[in-house]
Amino acid sequence: MAALAPVQVSPLIKFGRWSALLLGIMWGSHRYNTLKASETAWRVEEAERKIVKDAHKATEKTRLNREELLYLADQAGVKVPPNF
Amino acid sequence: MAKALTGLAAKAPGLIKGVVDYSTPKLNTFWHYARVELTPPTPADIPKITQGLNSLVKSARTGKWKEVPVKEAWLNTLITAEIAFWFFVGECIGKGTIVGYQV
Repeated sequence: MAALAPVQVSPLIKFGRWSALLLGIMWGSHRYNTLKASETAWRVEEAERKIVKDAHKATEKTRLNREELLYLADQAGVKVPPNF
Repeated sequence: MAKALTGLAAKAPGLIKGVVDYSTPKLNTFWHYARVELTPPTPADIPKITQGLNSLVKSARTGKWKEVPVKEAWLNTLITAEIAFWFFVGECIGKGTIVGYQV
């Protein structure tokens, strides 16, 4: 292919392209910052809720574990030690 | 691993020269076209830009856009699509990743 001369692009098109690029960069960074702020806020709340949830789950687990062992002891005829 | 690294370090000047020799003409052609086609508009172009915008608005207002040949209308559509794609390229640059927001 013979070397083509560079096309004289209309200034309106060049203006449109560059302004679209700059607007896109601004929009992208703005949206990223907004989403990051709300996500970090949610993560902080979730961390607080996690402490409560984990404590609750731990107590539930020990309770269910104890009841399961009591049931198994009852089924197997094993004598349950006092203060279990 | 050490032998591969020393071999690479020994060949590195030759490799770099090869890369430079291969890419310089290509960069020159790219620069030859980019200097005319891809540069941002200068303040000297502002009257032409406003003229272009006014002609677009006038064509929309007077209904002249209905008289445009299909080939030209198709070209205008492609150009508009390209300008829209530059917005999404900018958004990818602004958010830092290509797909999705890594919050």
